[in-house]
Amino acid sequence: MASVAFMARPQRWDAPFGPAMTDADVARLMTLPEIAAIKADNFPAHTPLADIVKNDTRLVRYEPGDIVVREGDYGNSAFLVISGKLRVVLAPDLPRATIGRQESRRKGFFEALAQVWTNRVMPEVRGAVRQTSQQVRAGDDLAGSRVVLQDVPAVLSRHKTAELGASALFGELAALGRVPRTATIFAEEPAELLEIRWQGLRELRKYDMGWRRLIDERYRENTLKVALRESSLFQGLSETELQEVADAVLFETYGGFDWNVSFKRMREQGSVAQEPVIAREGEYPDGVLMVRAGFARVAVKIGNGQRTLTYLGAGDLYGIDELWAARNGSEVSLQTSLSALGYVDVLRVPAPVLERFVFPKMQAPPRPLIEMAARPLSADAPMEWAVEQRFINGTKAMLIDLSLCVRCDDCVRACASTHGGNPRFIRHGRTFDHWMVTNACMHCADPVCMIGCPTGAIHRSIGSGTVVINDETCIGCGTCAGSCPYHNIRMVETRDGDGKLLRDPDSQRPIVKATKCDLCETSPGGPACVRACPHDALRRVDFRSESTFRSVR
Amino acid sequence: MTGERAITIRYMVVLGIFAAAIVAFTLHAIETPNQLGRPEFLTGYVMFGLMLGVALLNARKRLSMVPVGRAAYWLALHVLGGFLIIGLYFVHTQRIWPQGGFERAFAMLVYLVTASGIYGYVIQRFIPRRLTTSGIEIIYERIPAELARIRREAEEIALACTKEAGTDTLARHYLESLSWYFRRPRFFLGHVFALESGEHWVRFQVQTIERYLSEAERRHLAKLEALALYKDRIDFHFVGQSLLKYWLLVHVPLATALLAMMFWHIIVINVYAL
Repeated sequence: MASVAFMARPQRWDAPFGPAMTDADVARLMTLPEIAAIKADNFPAHTPLADIVKNDTRLVRYEPGDIVVREGDYGNSAFLVISGKLRVVLAPDLPRATIGRQESRRKGFFEALAQVWTNRVMPEVRGAVRQTSQQVRAGDDLAGSRVVLQDVPAVLSRHKTAELGASALFGELAALGRVPRTATIFAEEPAELLEIRWQGLRELRKYDMGWRRLIDERYRENTLKVALRESSLFQGLSETELQEVADAVLFETYGGFDWNVSFKRMREQGSVAQEPVIAREGEYPDGVLMVRAGFARVAVKIGNGQRTLTYLGAGDLYGIDELWAARNGSEVSLQTSLSALGYVDVLRVPAPVLERFVFPKMQAPPRPLIEMAARPLSADAPMEWAVEQRFINGTKAMLIDLSLCVRCDDCVRACASTHGGNPRFIRHGRTFDHWMVTNACMHCADPVCMIGCPTGAIHRSIGSGTVVINDETCIGCGTCAGSCPYHNIRMVETRDGDGKLLRDPDSQRPIVKATKCDLCETSPGGPACVRACPHDALRRVDFRSESTFRSVR
Repeated sequence: MTGERAITIRYMVVLGIFAAAIVAFTLHAIETPNQLGRPEFLTGYVMFGLMLGVALLNARKRLSMVPVGRAAYWLALHVLGGFLIIGLYFVHTQRIWPQGGFERAFAMLVYLVTASGIYGYVIQRFIPRRLTTSGIEIIYERIPAELARIRREAEEIALACTKEAGTDTLARHYLESLSWYFRRPRFFLGHVFALESGEHWVRFQVQTIERYLSEAERRHLAKLEALALYKDRIDFHFVGQSLLKYWLLVHVPLATALLAMMFWHIIVINVYAL
């Protein structure tokens, strides 16, 4: 007979951001001018301000030289300086090696060839010197480790910097907008910072007018006009007109920032992720939605389900067809629905603003989204599958045509011989018809693996945009591997030159490193897996491209 | 570009290169006064060069870290080069079955290498398509573990049935017949020739035992049947992937022996015939 087990229903704050936060810390933080100015009464009973401070923030201390955020990092938290002095590097940028990045250098032909005899019999051999980079300062735990600038005075003399003192808030736009950090900030003096994770930041913006004004104004000042100018919709607008549009735009966020966690869980259970609806078919549009970050699904109702017509990414527009039709006299409700695939950040441009500034100068939209519904269902089946599996995040996904693949594993061996004896992917994965997307890093458009890396070891290569891991600054905490919703990052045990497993002398635990496909960043000739396939069964595809889906139909 | 089109274009390109090479070689052979008066030397050495060339495919596989061209082009060169070699062999020997022990052994090796190569190429074009129709995909090395898991699950079903129904009819049938099937991959030839022997065998076993079971036991039998049919698909993959892997164990040693004999042949010819 089946038995029933009881457990407390999981709650939002079961896992606080800073488990070490005490009531005394919270009481002290509540007296900070930036927090004290917040009207606690505006917060609902289920999300009181004090609980947000206790559970969605944490106190972090930095020593001189400690890097707080690096340019190019993805992060899900903002920082408020409580005490101490920080420096933001303005120009020129710090050398990549200085901030713990990998200096990618392509090997020469003979250097690559030398791997034939220099590859060790045992995989994952690292020189003992390379185990711990001088740049990494160990923390109380692995996640507390950080990269340190070795010579702060030299940095200050060679680079133009600006000071950040008490009460300075930074990192909020990167945290809420899912965009890379734009500058490197380090501690000049011992500093205490309040780190606020995105959930807390969202609540503060939602319930406190002061924080909302601050964040929105910063966004309007820094990036909104650039985003509008890049959109085809606002081409030809004068600076004044663009400013008026920017002033009227509303910011909206749908879905969870940590969508990867729930998606990974549901994927393992075989269920389909619930998607927050942004706009519903049949409703009347009150403005155009412009996707700023993340992905959104455009769907129409068919039978008892939703048929995916396409998906929208950064810069794409929704609702313009209907508003244009309404302008020309026909009353049109939304022909399609829009839902968030994970986390989506959208800008809502109100209809009156469009009517005043945009429509008079605009040509008819080229092709209404609803026309895509005329295609046979089978034609869209690959895209429906890719959207459901969230492969649309992949810019360099490894796609294998199983009807050509002879399962010879030449691709795996090529990868292994290029990467010191261990392959960086598994020739296995989700299949659809005769296509397989293997467990190889897809170099995602929204790289959730890069969020939370304490040393910034996982980062985008500056030249190619490939997501790579700096082996020297990787501390083996496994944050990236845990975040990847596709299981494409693996933690490997490392060995010394004699092939012995490396262990930490104190804990006796193995020294592990995160590994993943790096698209053979340092090898001449590009990805070895693609070149090694004798049957052209393997290729790297960009799932954001329409041509990918045309080729797999 | 689809895979099929890419393959066609690749082979056409390589074929074109070979055709041009043959024309150039023929013109050269006509124009050049052959002082030996023995065209076999020319065809023999060209064949020797081609054999070394096609054998380089194996070296290419070990040089994946350097940009030495896509393996797909190397395979096209290997396949078309192989056909060219057999053509040159007939030109060189002027007969299908030569006289003399060494020559016959050599000819036998040429035919066997060619036949195994053609066999390998053909199965590489057909078996992957058949494997995709199974609806599952499994890494070859994981098959034994997966079969062990299936067997464990099947035994658990049989035991659960006994425990729940209080009779050992299904468990007894499992021990008598089904355990043989679950022990390891079965019906190798049936899968090779797509006879669906495994599926037929499973259905026969289900029919055999079904009449003796209660409603509750039949539910367990249905689970067992689903598991057995799943195993049949794993067996299918085992057979298909085995064929794709092990033909090389014939082709490569034979080709190595052929190269060795060719070296000996060249030494002998140069020592005694000149």
